[in-house]
Amino acid sequence: MATTRAILVDITKCIGCRSCEQACKQIHGFPADTELKLSPTALTIVEEHGNRFVRRMCMHCQDPACASACLVGALQKTAAGPVTYDAAKCIGCRYCLVACPFSVPRYEWNKLVPYVKKCDMCAARQAKGQPPACVEACPVQASIAGDRDEILDEALRRVLSDSKYVKHIYGSEEAGGTSVFFISDVPFEKLGFAAAPKQAMPVLTANALGDGPTVILVGGALLSGLYWITQRRALVALAEAREQSAKERS
Amino acid sequence: MTTRGKTNAASSETTPRFPKISFWRTVVALIFAAGLYSMYARFALGFNVATNLTDPQPWGLWVGLGTLCGVGLSAGGFAIAAAVYLLGLDRYRPILRTSVLISFLGYCTVCVGMLYELGLPWRIWHPIVMWNRHSVLFEVSWCVMLYTTVLALEFSPALLEKIPWVRFREMYLRWHHSILIALVMAGTLLSSMHQSFLGGLYLITKGRLDPLWYTPYLTTMFYLSAIPAGLAVTIMAIYLCVRSLNARVDMNILSDVSRVIAPLLAMYGVFRAVDLVNRDATRYLWMWREETLLFWLEIALLVVVPLVLLNQEKVRNNPLYLYWTSATIVAGFITNRLNVSITALQSSSAVYYVPKWTEFAATFATITAAVVAFRYAVIYLDILPKNPPPQRWMLTSPPAHA
Repeated sequence: MATTRAILVDITKCIGCRSCEQACKQIHGFPADTELKLSPTALTIVEEHGNRFVRRMCMHCQDPACASACLVGALQKTAAGPVTYDAAKCIGCRYCLVACPFSVPRYEWNKLVPYVKKCDMCAARQAKGQPPACVEACPVQASIAGDRDEILDEALRRVLSDSKYVKHIYGSEEAGGTSVFFISDVPFEKLGFAAAPKQAMPVLTANALGDGPTVILVGGALLSGLYWITQRRALVALAEAREQSAKERS
Repeated sequence: MTTRGKTNAASSETTPRFPKISFWRTVVALIFAAGLYSMYARFALGFNVATNLTDPQPWGLWVGLGTLCGVGLSAGGFAIAAAVYLLGLDRYRPILRTSVLISFLGYCTVCVGMLYELGLPWRIWHPIVMWNRHSVLFEVSWCVMLYTTVLALEFSPALLEKIPWVRFREMYLRWHHSILIALVMAGTLLSSMHQSFLGGLYLITKGRLDPLWYTPYLTTMFYLSAIPAGLAVTIMAIYLCVRSLNARVDMNILSDVSRVIAPLLAMYGVFRAVDLVNRDATRYLWMWREETLLFWLEIALLVVVPLVLLNQEKVRNNPLYLYWTSATIVAGFITNRLNVSITALQSSSAVYYVPKWTEFAATFATITAAVVAFRYAVIYLDILPKNPPPQRWMLTSPPAHA
């Protein structure tokens, strides 16, 4: 049984060589030209912020907003860690794009049969025991992959052992915790990281949905009660009218 | 009643073989032509040609206007049906069929709009067999499917009573009568649920939806605003039927509806105000930015102006004033839904989304089709009581050569 996998990106180590980008494009068969933003043919990219290089990709949340939003369950958090997408189920509603706190999923707007595209942490490769293509390609180990607990320990060890690091592991709390972590020597907000809520996103909608059965039970009882009263009043009015006319006749 | 219906239909058939070219017919034809091109653009050329949607703004006018407003403005049907059947408010019975018909057609436009909106519309049936009960959208899609069925059943007698086979007709109407109360109750519950869940869709955008709109009570907000807006649409439709389709409606009914709308709007306004104060969001009310301006436009049109107008006896008792007051409410409601779905996400997505003309054309064409269907339903079915048709030739004296 495989453990939950995760990726750690150490921004202090990244040299901006874009090997991860190219490896990702290669394994998916996308055209090799460099893109500046995430796109349906660029599931990870390296952004430049000042003199730092920041990788962008799916964060593989522990309790993903996209998976809770997807009405047909095309997006799933797998036990092995990756959040995967089943194109055969997708109906193209794009609620996942609305829901993602990191604005990661991309849509194939220029196709007539469009699907959602996002990183799946090379779930198929990982199932075979191989690391994600981007991690494997990194020449300086700025990205490393491994068991989530061990990766988190490693991140913590680095942040605590060296005073240059910002005392925060991005992804440890964001959206209730993710499976991709970033550590940096420059504050994350200066590197274009989203200030995602520090709670599992599906909780936000679960509360509202939880009201459903209550609405049906309480509402149903209430409406039946109202209808009963209405009927009763009509019957009483009818009986009174009959009595009245009987009296008048006698 | 049925004979009168027949003569009515016959008299409107005495128009020439070719429909007259009138102003509104030209407008409708132009909208349909534009809509036809939009259909071609969406289904043959794709999203990139037909829309201005992008990854940061994946839901645009089709969701904001087509779905959120389409469902919201169709709330009149369940409100009036519940009032008549469950609360026993018989004085609204004359406008019951009209409001149910509006809702039914409204939901039809939503379902058609869904085909434009979905990237893979031929998979629209997937939610029936592929379930994710944690998804608000899943609940919404089921409620809309079920409620559209309920509305079709609620409205069906108006069509089936025209069937000439007496035994089948009687059998159907008897069956319909026996399930009617259950239908109305189911309709009320389903409506209440998905009207609020439409707001619930945006609960997951915490941190990105503008604080003027993001509240844990988005569900309640959507529910509270949908009922008065749905009733306002009913008033507008009935006014137009009386004005141009020869319908006969007691003005007091519309005044009564407006007397219900006013407190509902006031309640909504108070709820929004309390919520803003509670969330400490009042500082956003006075910032000089587009969001705040559009927020005030929404509040003015949806709450302040209608309340001031409806507070006056003169407005409540005058059909034309009521019509325009209702139009203000509907405009405010549309502003609110577009604000939630577009304006409120603008600054966090860093994209300034303006719908492409084909997006407008597709939605308008769908709505126009519903309006045309409504018109013919009122003309040919017994939706509203009608005045006797005007006589074209008068024979007041015997012919000269008898």
